[in-house]
Amino acid sequence: MAAECERSFVNAIDPDIAGQLASELPRDDFVRILRTFEDDLGRLARLLEAAVATGDEDGYRRAAHSLAGAAAAVGALRLEHVARIAMDPRNPADPRALAVQVRQEAAAALAELAALADNPPGSA
Amino acid sequence: MAQAAARVLIVEDTPTQAEVARALLRDLGHEIRLAETGADALEQGLGWQPDAILMDLELPDFSGFEAMRRLRAAGVEAAIIVVTAHGSVNHAVEAMREGAVDFIVKPFAKTRLTVTLQNALEKRALASELRAVKAQLNRDRFFGFIGASPTMQAVYRTIESVAASKANVFITGESGSGKELAADAVHRASPRRAKPFIALNCGAIPRDLLESEIFGHVKGAFTGATETRPGAARLADGGTLFLDEIGDMPIDMQVKLLRFVQTGTFQPVGASKAEKVDVRIVSATNRDPWAEVEAGRFREDLYYRLYVVPLELPPLRDRGDDVLLIARQFLGTFAREEGKRFRGFTREAEQALAGYSWPGNVRQLQNAIRNIAVLHDGERVERAMLPPMLLRSSRVPTPALSASPDPIAADAPPVMPEPGLAPAVLDSAAPQAAPSPEAPPEDPPRAPEAFLSLAEVEKRHILAALDATGQDVPRAAAMLGVNPSTIYRKLQSWRE
Repeated sequence: MAAECERSFVNAIDPDIAGQLASELPRDDFVRILRTFEDDLGRLARLLEAAVATGDEDGYRRAAHSLAGAAAAVGALRLEHVARIAMDPRNPADPRALAVQVRQEAAAALAELAALADNPPGSA
Repeated sequence: MAQAAARVLIVEDTPTQAEVARALLRDLGHEIRLAETGADALEQGLGWQPDAILMDLELPDFSGFEAMRRLRAAGVEAAIIVVTAHGSVNHAVEAMREGAVDFIVKPFAKTRLTVTLQNALEKRALASELRAVKAQLNRDRFFGFIGASPTMQAVYRTIESVAASKANVFITGESGSGKELAADAVHRASPRRAKPFIALNCGAIPRDLLESEIFGHVKGAFTGATETRPGAARLADGGTLFLDEIGDMPIDMQVKLLRFVQTGTFQPVGASKAEKVDVRIVSATNRDPWAEVEAGRFREDLYYRLYVVPLELPPLRDRGDDVLLIARQFLGTFAREEGKRFRGFTREAEQALAGYSWPGNVRQLQNAIRNIAVLHDGERVERAMLPPMLLRSSRVPTPALSASPDPIAADAPPVMPEPGLAPAVLDSAAPQAAPSPEAPPEDPPRAPEAFLSLAEVEKRHILAALDATGQDVPRAAAMLGVNPSTIYRKLQSWRE
């Protein structure tokens, strides 16, 4: 279990979730999910940053909530983790720093997912 | 259980989540739509009527629980599966309380999602089936029939079961029990419904004309055949031929009918070539058909050809509360026709209706209610308005299917008189009640020789009806409340 957790946070994506999607779905479907995820990330990251800039706490948490949901769907665990911190009103983390971290984790998740799309588990 | 393609609505405001669910379900072949807000879910739930809804709980406008409440309140019966990121027991309990059939925690594997969805759809299909079966068991209308009794439910089920087949149906039942309605229902429930339903009363047609009526004739085939005329068999091509009172068919005609039933071909009277048609035959009699075979009046080979699916109609006395159901229906109809105010029966009147044995079955009940609607008025039919026969007796001896029926007894049960004849006929026909102080003194008893025999009274009565209608047998029969065949038979017997 410890190794699992460590691996989850070492990698941007959870191979159990993303790998299962990549292996169970036709490549076209998996790629369509990645594109949708990419669109979501761009849109939600912008909403998050705009909310930070204007001090809109509700907007900030709504965007973080959607980011967490999108990230969880494809197994982007590190991104989901950051988004859930942003969702939590009791967490003292700096919203600006979290917004930057969201961008970084989103980029990392997309890169790993793209690699997975090219070489899904079980492929030669 | 194999399932047909279903309509599945995904309610999810995060496009990635929705796309994952859609992709995981793609193999199942269901039609899938997406709603991104609670309001959109309500609109599509009502307008599109999905079979299943995958409901996210966190929606931008209101919660998934609220959406479920509103959908259920609007009568949407889709199987709702709650999709949540929180796998807590509280969420599960609340989901079920709001009408969800299951819940699933995100992220979900393909197998988990598909199995959950298919189980929910299967459960919903079974629930729908159960509702349909319950509705069938409780139905009180079936084509032309009115009746919710268990005996009639069995009749409805038999008709439905046999309708799709081409198998010949043989209907038995007392006079007035609805044999023609049953034949009509068999036709209308069948794939032949768009084609003709031709009914022929074998007992009402003079034996010399029966062959021509069934098979038609060519011009010049016999005196009076001035033009070629198709018979019932040709007219019913593709549809259903109903041969009522088949037991009255002469033996020589039965031979010809047998050939037709066996081959589907027939030869019109006077024609040189046979014709072929596709006809389903429904026969009916108020006699016991096997007893008729044993008595030598009905061919055994024809019996086996026609008696493929027997359908026995119960007498009205065995149909429980159907009497009142039918009586109310007739009362509504006749009150409208007669411009009367009747809206129902008093309890005492209903008890009298329910306690009577109705030997003439629904036809007799129909005449009784028409009689009331014509002669009386008021909000409710009272016991005193009922025809005296109903008040005199309850559960009088009733006719049974018999090998040698008395045609009058079978076809002309104690029918209520038609409106115009009612008062006089009722007064003279009904035995007098015990004299009351207000009653006029009785006539002195007549000498035995002053009485006519019943047969003579009947003959005079029928001939008078024929005279009154210009020898129009169907009209006279309608006036007397009997089938035309009864009059034909009587005329025949008086000639012999």
